[in-house]
Amino acid sequence: MLELAIVISVAHIAAAIALLNGITTTFGQAKICAQAIESMARQPEAADSIRSAMFIGLAMGETSGIYGLLIAIIMLFANPLIDILLTYLG
Amino acid sequence: MGLEVKNYWVLQVAGREIWITETIVNTWIIMLVLIVLAMIARIKLRSFKDIPTGFQNAIEAIVETFDAFALDSLGEKLTYISPWFFMVFIFILSCSLFSVFGLRAPTADWATTFAFALATFILMLFMGIRHREGSYLKSFIEPHPIFFPLNLLGELSKPVSLSFRLFGNMLSGTIILTLYYALTPLFVQIGVPALLHAFFDVLFGALQTYIFVVISLMYVRGAVD
Repeated sequence: MLELAIVISVAHIAAAIALLNGITTTFGQAKICAQAIESMARQPEAADSIRSAMFIGLAMGETSGIYGLLIAIIMLFANPLIDILLTYLG
Repeated sequence: MGLEVKNYWVLQVAGREIWITETIVNTWIIMLVLIVLAMIARIKLRSFKDIPTGFQNAIEAIVETFDAFALDSLGEKLTYISPWFFMVFIFILSCSLFSVFGLRAPTADWATTFAFALATFILMLFMGIRHREGSYLKSFIEPHPIFFPLNLLGELSKPVSLSFRLFGNMLSGTIILTLYYALTPLFVQIGVPALLHAFFDVLFGALQTYIFVVISLMYVRGAVD
């Protein structure tokens, strides 16, 4: 039972660490937004093309955050380690 | 709505199990609605006039907007594949719009998004070979044959990242709404979830649909040019 408790608690800590990449992802997306707004203010006539490029850039930057979220979800809801441990314990 | 994809039936075909999950049933419902809409548009198409009114106006506006968008991001010579991406756009958009009515969005299952991303990947390879032939295959061993594994890995990661982006966004919305319904008392479940649905289903759904289609078009164009 203690082994199961240790694996579950470690999985929860691992999920929290995986979600920490939200910090860097947010900084990256903030940089993209700031630069896009700056260029829109400088050249309002190019605002449409800048906006679509900004959305693509935001989506690209979001990918790493999504990977962290998926790792956290797998750790919490579909953890393979618990199955391995249960078969090991019998 | 729940966190897990429910399994309705298990069919036995040639010794293998085929699972009819909630995702498949919801996909069928959405397909049925879209096919009926398309057939209505096809029947009405016979009586279309030069000066559009009402229903014809709406259909023409949608198709022309998407055609202009595809022309903008694909270029002149590739516009013949824009109907496929119009289908993808309408399907993913209606997936997220139908989850407002309590259906679990089919795009919140990795199987659906990976199917679309794999279709984009195959289309990308096919269009690259069709339009550039040898020079497309040569781009895998540039600048030197020693880079072939790296280029291959870069190409193979495209469908994975494309599918995970849409899946992660739709799944996070589903999880937040499920948690809200599970944790709050009954008297705040009237009215307040409408705001959450508007944000996570309609706004994020439309934005992620746009991004999925734009990045797919970008990959296809990158393979052809």
